[in-house]
Amino acid sequence: MNKSEKSYVSSLYPITKLVFVACLIVSVFFLYNYIYDLVCFAAMVAIAASDGKGKAYIKTILKTIFILIVLIFLMQSFLHSGTHVLWHWGILTIHKEGIWYAINLSTTLLVIGGAIALLFKITEVEDLIHSLENSGMSPRATYVILSTLQIIPQMKMKSAVIMDAQRSRGVETEGNLMVRIKAFFPSLAPLVLSSIVGTEERAITLEARAFTANVKKTCLDMPQDSKHDKVLRIVLLVLLGILIVGRIILWIL
Amino acid sequence: MDIVEVRDLTYKYPTSSDQVLRGVSLRVKKGEFCSIIGPNGAGKTTLCNAIRGLVPHFYKGDMQGEVLINGQSTMDVSLADLALSVGFVFQNPFTQISGIAKTVFGELAFGLENLGVEPDEIRRRVSRMLEVAKLQDLAERSPFEISGGQQQRVALASIIIMEPEILVIDEPTSQLDPQSTEEIFEIIQLMKMQGKTIILVEHKIDLVAQYSDHVVLIEDGSIVMDGSTDEILSDPAVLQHGTSLPQFALLGIEMRKRGYRLDKIPITEAQAVEQIGGYFTEKAVD
Ligand SMILES: Nc1ncnc2c1ncn2[C@@H]1O[C@H](COP(=O)(O)OP(=O)(O)OP(=O)(O)O)[C@@H](O)[C@H]1O
Ligand SMILES: [Mg+2]
Repeated sequence: MNKSEKSYVSSLYPITKLVFVACLIVSVFFLYNYIYDLVCFAAMVAIAASDGKGKAYIKTILKTIFILIVLIFLMQSFLHSGTHVLWHWGILTIHKEGIWYAINLSTTLLVIGGAIALLFKITEVEDLIHSLENSGMSPRATYVILSTLQIIPQMKMKSAVIMDAQRSRGVETEGNLMVRIKAFFPSLAPLVLSSIVGTEERAITLEARAFTANVKKTCLDMPQDSKHDKVLRIVLLVLLGILIVGRIILWIL
Repeated sequence: MDIVEVRDLTYKYPTSSDQVLRGVSLRVKKGEFCSIIGPNGAGKTTLCNAIRGLVPHFYKGDMQGEVLINGQSTMDVSLADLALSVGFVFQNPFTQISGIAKTVFGELAFGLENLGVEPDEIRRRVSRMLEVAKLQDLAERSPFEISGGQQQRVALASIIIMEPEILVIDEPTSQLDPQSTEEIFEIIQLMKMQGKTIILVEHKIDLVAQYSDHVVLIEDGSIVMDGSTDEILSDPAVLQHGTSLPQFALLGIEMRKRGYRLDKIPITEAQAVEQIGGYFTEKAVD
């Protein structure tokens, strides 16, 4: 993609994107409707695509949240009981109510997970950190957010290294699902251990760069908040407010 | 006054069963290049952690004795403030990347931004540092997408750019090839020429011989030898403490054993040429 041609999404202030994602997540809890969830998800894919990251986004979703959702879907459809039996085999029964419940729950999770993944696809960590600090968040708080976020890419990178090491010791790591699952467990312990050690060293690294020093920071490349962003944030919050109030009125009536 | 003074330091990690440092005392003068050598597990990294203040601020545990930086005890200064006078570079290049900056340029700028340095001044200093560390071509690359040797140079440069008076560098080259090792040492040498005080842990003894002024040998948590580089690295006693000597020193010691008279044991190539080469020319003249 041409860098000088900035997409609309990448021109937005990181906080605006954060507010958007947060509104989306909250709204899902109030509507709890799988059609709304699916529409949201489609919209998120479209947003990622408009920023030239559609493919990468779908790939991330498939590799992470999707697997989790399939598992939860299966578990919920079997565990939830009801009166309309759809399918029955031995001790396993699926009820119509179970399927509905499972569909609603998994689409909700899809939106929540998808929204968080979207935020990091369309926002640079650096920009997000700078704008959070700019809006008055303390370096210690941003540090907590940052180190949580870093655990995942760090684990990904390290797991590649560990897989290599296990392979050279003769552990099969490629092939069908069963082979991969078997390879997964011997890789897990060194991964978790080295991630913990890595986190400690990285904390020292940030400390060494005066990340938590008590001075007003400067910023070479500060993302710019605009009037457009402010209006957009207000619109998003107002829409969310309307949704919540509407929902409460419906409950009371 | 010595810029770094360790006074009778005894320390035990919260999880270690034994004392890791036992009564360590050490003085490093301003502008000196001091190398710490010794076998694995001797306590070299722990001593660095103490000088940087990570012991006891970060690692807790039992500490007796004290570490003075410019006459001030590390106990009385916060880690963040200590970071301004003591820069610390360690072994693993990967964990020394902040993970925040998008580019190598941003990575170098990061520390200065945190200190609130003016943007123009930051740009000037980063450009100069990129040049010194030979990183110009990588300025716009992601710090995660460069080689380990390049990452180590970025890590070193990111600390140096903050201009600490003292640099504590723990085995910076253990994961690097000879070429990258050379590059790291060139940068360290340059810092020495700018008057920085350098404390280096390094197993590559020939490089220690070539660059340092002062050598300290640690074994089992105690300093067993401490003196000038020439004095320590020409002493066969070093071999009794699980540490090697420079190849030229070994040659010199062997030659003495066989009856060659050398004025002094050479420890670097230059000294060897002078001592041994001189011997042969004299012989040839005889
Ligand atoms: N974080 C820690 N917690 C507990 N014990 C530790 C810790 N770090 C080091 N030790 C122990 O302290 C002793 C000295 O370790 P240290 O890392 O200082 O040695 P070193 O001289 O740097 O060795 P190397 O040459 O292998 O780097 C070792 O016995 C080690 O097991
Ligand atoms: Mg060590």
